[in-house]
Amino acid sequence: MQPPGEEAPASGEEAQPLLSARDVVQEFTVRDYGGAKGGVVHAVSGVSFDIWPGETLGIVGETGSGKSTLARCVLQAPPPKAGAVLFRGADLTRLRGRSLLRVRRHMQMVFQDPFGSLDPRWRVRDIVEEPLVAYRAGGRAARRRRADEVLELVGLDPGSHGGRRPRELSGGQAQRVAIARAVALEPSLIICDEAVSSLDVLIQAQVLNLFERLRTELGLSYLFIAHDLALVKQVSDRVAVMYLGKLCEVGPGESVYREPRHPYTRALLDAIPGTSGSGRAAAGRPPIKGEPPSPIDPPSGCRFRTRCPRAAERCAAEEPVLRELASGHAVACHFPLEPPATPDARPVRLGSTTTRSV
Amino acid sequence: MSAPLFRPAGPQTLLPPEVTAPKRARTRRAENWTHDLKITIPLGLLILIAGACFLWPLVYPVPKPTGGSILDAGLPPFSPGHLFGTDAVGNDIFSRILYGGRVSFEVGVSVTAIGLVIGGLFGVIAGYLGGITDAVISRVLDVLIAFPALVLALAIAEGLGPSELHVIWALSFFGIPAVGRVARAATLALREQTFMLAARLAGTPRWRVVLRHILPNIMPQLMTFSLLGIGVIIILEGALSYLGLGIPPPNPSWGSMIANGQQTLSSQPELVLIPSAFLFVTVLSLNLLGDALRERWGVR
Repeated sequence: MQPPGEEAPASGEEAQPLLSARDVVQEFTVRDYGGAKGGVVHAVSGVSFDIWPGETLGIVGETGSGKSTLARCVLQAPPPKAGAVLFRGADLTRLRGRSLLRVRRHMQMVFQDPFGSLDPRWRVRDIVEEPLVAYRAGGRAARRRRADEVLELVGLDPGSHGGRRPRELSGGQAQRVAIARAVALEPSLIICDEAVSSLDVLIQAQVLNLFERLRTELGLSYLFIAHDLALVKQVSDRVAVMYLGKLCEVGPGESVYREPRHPYTRALLDAIPGTSGSGRAAAGRPPIKGEPPSPIDPPSGCRFRTRCPRAAERCAAEEPVLRELASGHAVACHFPLEPPATPDARPVRLGSTTTRSV
Repeated sequence: MSAPLFRPAGPQTLLPPEVTAPKRARTRRAENWTHDLKITIPLGLLILIAGACFLWPLVYPVPKPTGGSILDAGLPPFSPGHLFGTDAVGNDIFSRILYGGRVSFEVGVSVTAIGLVIGGLFGVIAGYLGGITDAVISRVLDVLIAFPALVLALAIAEGLGPSELHVIWALSFFGIPAVGRVARAATLALREQTFMLAARLAGTPRWRVVLRHILPNIMPQLMTFSLLGIGVIIILEGALSYLGLGIPPPNPSWGSMIANGQQTLSSQPELVLIPSAFLFVTVLSLNLLGDALRERWGVR
């Protein structure tokens, strides 16, 4: 392994999170034909979270809830409109140019579409080498060795795969290449934006195993974004549920899934087609109706109130803030669900057994 | 931390590469372009014509294209020493075709090359940077495109006097915006691709993204467009020469040969037909080759 480059000295203090997002806001102006201002998309509205060294934070939410935008905000691509993103104490939103590059070296991203994230005209070895070249990590020969090394690390054979172009790979192999590129610089945080969502279940399991192996071998932290609840539970230490640009519930995976306190989380878990009587059908709860409102014109107060079975007047008037109800388990709701009574507290059985049977 | 959330995997859980990576034998075979007649035929014709124009006079002596004797005027094709005959002032037509073809190829290729370099550069910059830069460059290209190119070329040829170099400058006003717009559109489509973001997040600086990611990816599109462009430029050069504003007489070009032959069209139609045929075959080959390559490279 190549020695890591210049390193922030703060690694000794366990008290400091690796990454902290504080009130991150991202908005986009949409324009009608002719350039007239059509409205502002409130993609991410005041999201805060911490990722501790070695931890995996999962973020779940529907399509359009702002998960990917949040991921890109963290990497300053583009930088958020407001809020702070602290990496080992350094605020990325205040950094520009070289100093931003120097910090961003420690955070890498893996995207949803493996083929889309690899330049079709480049060869695998060059793709993996790209960050090494950009950060001038070692000489030509050292870079080549490092590229072969990480290719082996992700389970590809440098000899037979290194000279290929992306379209000569399978989806799983292409995603491995993307992962190899992400770990080439020995980052401490990897952001996975739906990184396994477009893969077959079998390949998905392989790639997840790879993520877990890299976590232990390289001491990585992950920000793992997906819409698949089962998947997120599988890989995450803590889970954050996102709805319409806001976090509704954050907590340890077990506790969020077994005792959801936010009505939206409850509804999400109910929506998993269960094989046994664990889900909504057993509990006799109706499914939530309708589509999420437009992020151009989000509801006042609590953003979930338009679809919430427990909504009251207060929900429209006052925006709920995240508050800790149990240890490490925070909910943004005026009328959080009671934790289920002890006899009823059986574990939630997640539907996609296929994912886990591999 | 609790027990592992899923089974820890050793490398042995991975499928062996042979299973997951099918051999692309079919693609490999199809990649061999020499088997594709749609490419080889027009390419062969172009090499034949261009090769003859540039090499034949060096290897095998031909009569001079100008300064022929009036005694030899108006000889029919297949006369001894004059394969295609002679024109009204006694110049060897075969020789004039070869030397005139040089002009056509030189003008066509130079104008397209200038268009590729300058137009391509501005197009890529506009498409990649966007915003104000894009707006300014796009408007300039729009103005150049809206300007009647032939009239502009006429003005330049008129003002600076007819010469091959001036023809090239004049027609470049036509080539630069055309290539520029194509390059901009191709870059815009490319900019949305995830690998562009991936490259930036990998720390690759913008100029390197342009050189290593954008240019290689838009090259097929620019090349096919340029091949079609060369054909258009050769025709335009012919039109300028036909109007007497291209290559100064008595030097030949295919366009001026057609123009001069017009005077004796009824008595000696071959004076028009022969250069027209060469012009036709050349431009057609360029178009066919461009289309075939576009198909092969999967360019929209």
